[in-house]
Amino acid sequence: MMTTVSLQDHVLDSAREVFETMVFMALEEAQDEGPTMEDKTLLGTITFKGRVEGCLGIGCGANCALMIASNMLGMDPSEGISEDDVNDAVGEIANMVMGAIKARIQDEVGNIDVSIPSVVQGLELRNSLGDKANEIVVNGNLEEEHLIRFSLLYRENEG
Amino acid sequence: MGKSLMIVDDSATMRKIIMRTVRMSGLEFDRTEEAGSGVEALQKLEAGAVDVILCDVNMPEMNGTEMVKKAREMASCNGTKIVMVSTESGQDLIDQVMADGADGYITKPFTPEKFQEKLAPLLN
Repeated sequence: MMTTVSLQDHVLDSAREVFETMVFMALEEAQDEGPTMEDKTLLGTITFKGRVEGCLGIGCGANCALMIASNMLGMDPSEGISEDDVNDAVGEIANMVMGAIKARIQDEVGNIDVSIPSVVQGLELRNSLGDKANEIVVNGNLEEEHLIRFSLLYRENEG
Repeated sequence: MGKSLMIVDDSATMRKIIMRTVRMSGLEFDRTEEAGSGVEALQKLEAGAVDVILCDVNMPEMNGTEMVKKAREMASCNGTKIVMVSTESGQDLIDQVMADGADGYITKPFTPEKFQEKLAPLLN
């Protein structure tokens, strides 16, 4: 079965791969003295099911999300990037990070089906999976400027 | 004669990102189209075929594997090259979609170099 340590590494490595390749930004594991989360946040979530089921949530501030979208689209933030584009970009990040995690764990847990991502905006948003869920949290420091939070909630499917 | 490209993805942002990556790869298309679903793509293909389709796998309404099968039943798509672009990297899925008629498979995250490597041979 997957260990917490290996999953933590898979989440961080997958996120790094996606940010370096598609967002052209360096992502490092955040330290205590790093940037803090903005008040207004976006949460991109994507669920998965199989022998292991759960939910990956990616939370970041609104300004961080705008920077991610502008980098992915090759646009300047002042060029008027729409809210839909920003939401879509965060959803795609969740989709790609989950895909990269899936590629890393599927030898261990077998195939898992992944949903289509969704994104919500609000204050202090967190994903949830109810009782008996394990949680892996990785706080990332994006370009020494923004905090981005990856939360992988999962449980073994006994059905 | 110039080449034509269609990008099929339910995410408008991802369609823009793919278009940007194609441009960065150095590949040139005279005509580009977009479709937000497999259904919309098939409707557009009935009106006129394209040389290359870049198609997502996980889409609502009609997924990419279904779209490939239906496109391959259309006479107008006989010469069309279809390359899937997806976060799904399972070999079983890749084998299945290639058997269904896809000509290539690119996994996300992708780079301009990956597009060049996979698409250039199909355009010659």
